[in-house]
Amino acid sequence: MSETRSSSSTPGMLIGVDTGGTFTDVALLDPADGRLWVTKTASTPADPSLGFGKGVSDGLAAGGVDGKRVGRVLHGTTVATNLILERKGPAAAILVTSGFRYILEIGRHDIPRKSNLFTWVKPPRPVPPQHIWEIPGRIDASGNIVETLDEEAVRAAAREIAAEGIRTVAIVLINSYANSAHERRVAEIVSREHPEALVSVSSEVLPVFREYERCVTTLLNAYVMPAVSTYVERLEQRTRACGIAAPLMLMKSSGGVTSTLGARRKPVETALSGPAAGAVGAAFVGASAGFGNLLTNDIGGTSADIALIRNGVPRLTTTSAIGGWRVGLPMVDIMTIGAGGGSIARVSKAGGLVVGPESAGAQPGPVCYLRGGTEPTVTDAHVVLGHLPPYLLGGSFTLDVQAAREAIVQRIARPLGMSVEAAARGILDVLDNNMVGAMRVVSVERGVDPAELVFLPFGGAGPLHGSSLARLIGCKTILIPPAPGVLSALGLLVSNLRAEFARTCVQRAGHYDSKQLASVFDELTAEAVAWLDAEEVPTRSRVLLKQASLRYKDQGFELDVPWSGNVDAAALAGVIDGFHDAHERIYSFALRDMPVEIVTLRVDAVGMLPKVTMRELSAGGKAAAAIVGSQRISFASGAVDVPIYDRGKLGAGVRVKGPAVITQLDSTTLLLASQVAEVHKFGSLIVTEEQS
Amino acid sequence: MNDSADYVTPLESAAIDPVTIELVRGAMKSVQNEMEALIERTAMSAFIREKKDFYAGIFDARGRFLAGKSRPGSSDLIGPILEQYPAHTIKPGDLYWYNDCYAARGAVSHSPDQVLAAPVFHAGQLVAFAQAWAHFSDIGGMHAGSISPNCTEYYQEGIIVPVVRLAAEGRINDELMRLFLRNSRFPDAVRGDMRALMASVWLGEKRFEELFKRFGTATMLAVFDALIERVKRAVQERFRALVPNGTYRFTDAIDSDGHGSGPVKLRWKLEVTPERITLDATESGDQVRGPVNYLMSITEPAMTFGSFLLGDSREHTLNAGAESLFDEVQVREGSILQPRFPAPLGQRSITKMRNLGAYLGLLGVATGGKMPAAHTGYVIWNVRGLNADGERFLMSDGVAVGYGARPTADGHDAIYLVAQENYPAEFVEASYPLRVRSYAINRDTGGAGRWRGGCGVVREMEILADEVIVALRIEGDVNPPWGVAGGRCAGSGRCIVNPGRADERVLPPLSDGHVLKRGEIVRIETGGGGGWGHPFDREPERVLEDVRGGFVSRDRAERDYGVVVSADGRHIDIEATQKRRKQRPATKLFHRHEYCDSFE
Repeated sequence: MSETRSSSSTPGMLIGVDTGGTFTDVALLDPADGRLWVTKTASTPADPSLGFGKGVSDGLAAGGVDGKRVGRVLHGTTVATNLILERKGPAAAILVTSGFRYILEIGRHDIPRKSNLFTWVKPPRPVPPQHIWEIPGRIDASGNIVETLDEEAVRAAAREIAAEGIRTVAIVLINSYANSAHERRVAEIVSREHPEALVSVSSEVLPVFREYERCVTTLLNAYVMPAVSTYVERLEQRTRACGIAAPLMLMKSSGGVTSTLGARRKPVETALSGPAAGAVGAAFVGASAGFGNLLTNDIGGTSADIALIRNGVPRLTTTSAIGGWRVGLPMVDIMTIGAGGGSIARVSKAGGLVVGPESAGAQPGPVCYLRGGTEPTVTDAHVVLGHLPPYLLGGSFTLDVQAAREAIVQRIARPLGMSVEAAARGILDVLDNNMVGAMRVVSVERGVDPAELVFLPFGGAGPLHGSSLARLIGCKTILIPPAPGVLSALGLLVSNLRAEFARTCVQRAGHYDSKQLASVFDELTAEAVAWLDAEEVPTRSRVLLKQASLRYKDQGFELDVPWSGNVDAAALAGVIDGFHDAHERIYSFALRDMPVEIVTLRVDAVGMLPKVTMRELSAGGKAAAAIVGSQRISFASGAVDVPIYDRGKLGAGVRVKGPAVITQLDSTTLLLASQVAEVHKFGSLIVTEEQS
Repeated sequence: MNDSADYVTPLESAAIDPVTIELVRGAMKSVQNEMEALIERTAMSAFIREKKDFYAGIFDARGRFLAGKSRPGSSDLIGPILEQYPAHTIKPGDLYWYNDCYAARGAVSHSPDQVLAAPVFHAGQLVAFAQAWAHFSDIGGMHAGSISPNCTEYYQEGIIVPVVRLAAEGRINDELMRLFLRNSRFPDAVRGDMRALMASVWLGEKRFEELFKRFGTATMLAVFDALIERVKRAVQERFRALVPNGTYRFTDAIDSDGHGSGPVKLRWKLEVTPERITLDATESGDQVRGPVNYLMSITEPAMTFGSFLLGDSREHTLNAGAESLFDEVQVREGSILQPRFPAPLGQRSITKMRNLGAYLGLLGVATGGKMPAAHTGYVIWNVRGLNADGERFLMSDGVAVGYGARPTADGHDAIYLVAQENYPAEFVEASYPLRVRSYAINRDTGGAGRWRGGCGVVREMEILADEVIVALRIEGDVNPPWGVAGGRCAGSGRCIVNPGRADERVLPPLSDGHVLKRGEIVRIETGGGGGWGHPFDREPERVLEDVRGGFVSRDRAERDYGVVVSADGRHIDIEATQKRRKQRPATKLFHRHEYCDSFE
């Protein structure tokens, strides 16, 4: 797996740019010796490609290298997500099967489980019914044509769509997952009658059953297409302006990268680009330190993204949603909750302490930033308790401890009749409790005992919460990555090319058809190979993985089970056994005599990119030599003076005993009493509980 | 309702600190979520897995409801267990089960809902219960699906399970299970569903033990008290802020029981004095022969009002504290809301959902119309028969309706209920010998108003089997949901076979046993929700958008809203609209076919 793709003797530099809401993080890596440079620049939401360009040139400057030496540019973007969340996409049209004009309006006819019947308000649909055209013609669930396609109706619709000035078109016909003939023909006609239209076809985007989810996914794909296309063009201009001729690749929600061509065709796949890069970065850092099973939590200013990594691979799901819209594509299984350093603490009218999901964000920010924030946040609680030294970013930014204290006294401690320290600890406890609830969902509900997992907190605020969260959820080891604040940018550098090809192929128990299974797998494999060809992946770097989703007869949810070996009866029996085992692991029981159905087949194509190795730290040194100050921390058991360590001065193998504060430019790590951190040779801190 | 309303609540005593209360409350919600996720992912009845007809709950050792479902229902699910099995006889590893609505006094109100509960022990002491229920697709009885509009006795609605011990100290009673499975037409699905419920309550038990270990019994019990006290106060304060002292009456009716009785009145009286708040439903109509009797749990009105009053509050989780909102709830034995055994209960949702609307009507009277309008009760129809492989099949298809408009927003279009999902057309076609021909908004069923009531839907299917039997439950034909504060009533639903063909016919709204052949077409049209406020006050742009989207016809826009839309349906004729809106009809508090101040 360690072959390089380019034939030149010196591999090119890799540059990864992850654009977030506030900062654009950049990581530059020299694969020849594993040297890594990281920088941050302000994001430019009006035109994110500006911040991207600035990031690339800053990164090159930091490494002192010329654009010509760059071998690959990788990018994580929020352009598609923001467009969806802010509903700023273009007017779009949908062509549906006759009788289904209200497919979006009706959806799954539910009110979300946690919502109240009386207060919930249905969010407006992205396309109103008057922009949905019905087309006669019908295919049944087995793929048979039972009513011919009315091509004249398609032509008329295309002309009307053109006359409305709509250029974004999604095509979603009933049962097209079983036979895409009608959809393909509709696409041809629309393209001919309305050549300016950008067309997205459901059997290409997601040939999987359940029409509403497929419709939403296809529509969102169409919806973000023009913007992502323009954006990608701008990115290419920016890289060229930096003298870079190397290819640009974009991170997808599934944790693999794609060429700009792929991103233009299926732009909705870039929706969770940044968080997916974080999960890939976490998997890489975990593997470097010898850990394959991780629970990760990326804690930023406003939200926390939680993910599970099994055997070095981030878990994928096909049931996630973006801004309430279900997207059925495989995405890294990330649970996002509104909890972060900027989460605001309030006393409710009933006298309860509530933390988040409202956030002070970057503006006005926590009270201690003195940027006009008046409501105490999680960061203020840390400052008051002494978890954070009264400065950030290596001293370039000071924090006002007194202002934070005053805010907590006035707004929390006094109304609740508590000391300021107890109130500050309460704020952190409530936040941790919320996060543990979500971490439990991601681990326990996926059938994994947290005790078997290493906890990897990252993001600016992650390492401050790592020690308490690990104890609460029962992880015995904590892994703090070398640069927790820019892990997503690192994730970009170490990712592979990746694409998933899935098709629903329902096989009822007792009616398995190995031939049909083989033929669907063959088709999916052919598509995967065509994609690898288009991405110019050399044969030796190709990996194809088959899997099937199965369920007990009559169940409504499927479990993904890897399919190893050939497609025959013997392999199928193994897959079914695998399903029973997975069911038992995840749901605590299996019904081994119950008939099992196969629902969807999937082939994942991976183009392995040259493997990246981190540079090893030099060994030795004494922990004491890295002490740069001390800090009074208020613990529940009493106040203690705690040493502050400079992480940059800690060599490989050095052990730091808690309680301690370890600072670095992009993050601060808090060690609790009886926790010990050991510096791993690749720069991570491995924190464990001291044996008593 | 939300938290921003300015209610003054004194802080509770400092006996237990607010942080711990918050930690336990959050953790309990997590337990409930985890239990429900497990059921959703493993259950086998389509009713549970696609329609999500299930809920998990957490109770203290006395059976007080701590966290769980926040939609209308009973909070007394453990009481029936404690009556049969006194606390001192309950052992770790036990598992309790029932579906007997009468023995449980309406804790569940029709027999397909199976209740399972596991006791939680800490330090050798019974400290709590983890409970879950779900609607099983078939537990025997008269017809597939167990609850048929044809039923006239509770005995016909499936096997009756009194409170029994399904597992004793960790040992499952296989005999009970075998007996139960033998009674079902779909034993595999029932076995899967039971297994899912068992796994769920055991998971809840385990999680709850962990919580007790973390916080200790004394703290946990103190937190339970504090949370219950908090909800009690919040609900009472919110109620008092909304409803002035006085006596209020509201009457609504269900059309028919499907067996010749009806309309059946639901008559409510609410009395509010500075000392007491009481409800009285004793003047409601008598119980009926058909299965629309609603064995209402005495805690249900308070839980429903509580759910309404707490709204989407993030600081409160609905619990037993809401029970004390009413000092007394009077019902009359032998009435539609308190039938005597063995009156059939299977289709009680018609009554239950209409009764929910009656609560809103009571509040509407009390507040001069500052409350939502009424909704149509959700619709269910069944298709049963043999598929192409000769296997028995049953499709129970829930169909969405429209909900009432509110003082601040339109009613929901095309909604069934919280957290319950429809069968995708592609799921129906892959699973049953049926083709979904159309699934659309039922135009003009939303009551006109300043805020429009939600529209129902049209769902049309073609039969692809040689012969099937169809059962149907649809309501609101004679008495469509009312509008309020000037809003007009909703449109009604109906079921037509072979629409537009020579043999077109309308099926009775509550009926069973319709034999249909291959190629025949069933078209279900569901009703909407009432409107809120004078329709002439609705912005013409919104009315135009409704016309363009097909929610409101041009004719109705002009007749009901006074908005004249151009012939192509794309523009407002401003002059004609202004002229039309000068002839503004007078309104009264309620509207059903015509404006009125109350219903008799």
